[in-house]
Amino acid sequence: MPEKIFKDHHDFEHLRRVIMRETTEGPVPIIELVADPEVMSTVTGMDFPAERALEIYYLGPNPTMEQLQLGLRLMDLSLAFSEKVGYDYVTMIPVVPIPRTEFLARENPQQEGKVRGWLDEHRGLIMNRDDLEAFPWPSPQEISLVAMDYAASKMPEGMKVMAVYTGIFEDLKRLMGFENMALKSVEEPELCGDVLERLAVLAEAAIDRCAAHPAVGAVFYAEDMGFNRGLMLSPRWMRQWVIPHLKRFAEACHRHGKPFLLHSCGQIDALMEDLIETVGIDARHSFQDNIEPVEEVYRKYHDRIAILGGVDVDLLARGTPEQVRRRTREILEACAPGGGFCMGSGNSLTNYIRMENYYAMLDETRKWNQEHGYL
Amino acid sequence: MDELKELIKQGKAEETEARVRELLQAGNDPQALLRDAMIPAMEEVGNLFQAGEYYLPEMLLAARAMQAGLEVLKPILAQHGAGFLGKVVMGTVQGDIHDIGKNLVTMTLEGAGMEVIDLGVDVSPERFVEAVREHKPLALGMSALLTTTMLSMKETIDALREAGLRDGVKVMVGGAAVRGEFAEEIGADFYGPDSVAARDYIRRILESAG
Repeated sequence: MPEKIFKDHHDFEHLRRVIMRETTEGPVPIIELVADPEVMSTVTGMDFPAERALEIYYLGPNPTMEQLQLGLRLMDLSLAFSEKVGYDYVTMIPVVPIPRTEFLARENPQQEGKVRGWLDEHRGLIMNRDDLEAFPWPSPQEISLVAMDYAASKMPEGMKVMAVYTGIFEDLKRLMGFENMALKSVEEPELCGDVLERLAVLAEAAIDRCAAHPAVGAVFYAEDMGFNRGLMLSPRWMRQWVIPHLKRFAEACHRHGKPFLLHSCGQIDALMEDLIETVGIDARHSFQDNIEPVEEVYRKYHDRIAILGGVDVDLLARGTPEQVRRRTREILEACAPGGGFCMGSGNSLTNYIRMENYYAMLDETRKWNQEHGYL
Repeated sequence: MDELKELIKQGKAEETEARVRELLQAGNDPQALLRDAMIPAMEEVGNLFQAGEYYLPEMLLAARAMQAGLEVLKPILAQHGAGFLGKVVMGTVQGDIHDIGKNLVTMTLEGAGMEVIDLGVDVSPERFVEAVREHKPLALGMSALLTTTMLSMKETIDALREAGLRDGVKVMVGGAAVRGEFAEEIGADFYGPDSVAARDYIRRILESAG
């Protein structure tokens, strides 16, 4: 394996210019929102107890010394991964110590020893108004940017931090349990609205502080709003209860001149005008071929926002390297020449993708860049 | 009857249950309640969902109301020997604990007059096979969210074949990562993108069976 897998330098400024559609020149950058620890460990040779990752990503109040040490190891792993592959950024997460409903872990029968965490779809910590009132909300002063500070002291030249923030609608689902939240969204929408407001106060403060941090280059805001066929809740509901908050977050980010990137799974076309015009997102991430191939989304929106990633995770998991190369090239042919595009998986580098497929995606993109006179 | 239908469509569980009791006390035929009000209500809900007018919360609420009504009706229907249109076994595959999609299919099928044996989540191929052997359903429905967990669907189909049960049951699959070509590849009979598609598929099986 070469010293650096994709490229041997880091150029966040180029990535930023591509995301902001300021250039159609230069190599196609690569981007991911999340890489599972197993993937990062395979690439770097560094060990990490992957089954503990979610607990560290969503560190609650009063973490133990052991959890903090694991947090440090996870940051080192992320830094080493970004450096080894040649990403222009490293992802870091601000600590917002909200008590969160525990994930349910299950071993995958297809992958011995590998677990995935699942949200409880039926129950959460906030089932009703009493739970909300009794909930131990942290204050914005408790938000910690220790990860950004740490990365700032360790990052190689040219690299910046991508501050990843888990969205308020995501946390609403997590805190209330999806099914309960869905039912309350109709029967008691004000309860959902009040939870969202409490979450939004924290999110706005965290995003504002992240974007103000000199090591941070952009904010990647992760907010799953759709499923295969459409939005989980109606566009009207989302416009009333969620979109205004997202606008606040994008403004907090833009105030410091940093791009605001949106990750959302699912078919979210019904909200795209709101996201582009009202919220002011700079880029959209997460695509799945059986929902809408990335080329289609690019065709519709690339003159207004950047499009990030797009190689279907299903293909990365079950396809062959040859198939991945073919698909990567198809996407590049459709999306690269017009600019405002970065290559990557359609969602994240999960622990069940085939590593040779990940490398094939990177290598085909590297080749494309070489063929076009870059790198 | 029209009021009952509206209550289900609006997802009012308590009122639905009360209205079913009222209608029964007034001497209405339980079969007629199901056939002329409750099933058509869920039919309309499914159509509204497909048309993009209803979203998951409205579907869940309507299904919950339907369940509340069915809880009252079921024992009476059983007493009268009035059967369901057919039986379906449902479950989320091994390693996967997502069940909102599976529950929606279950409730939509029940709303269409089917009896559904719901095996829950994290169901092993052996348990699916066992249930098919025991219940002899028209169809087996499997749900999975992930690319990896959906591979368990193939194992179940293979296990059905080995047990000599495959020819006697239609297999339908669905879930976020599942798609038509995968269904074909593993030898399933049907892939449905949502619960209404599953309902329509079951209806086609019933029609072709005469």
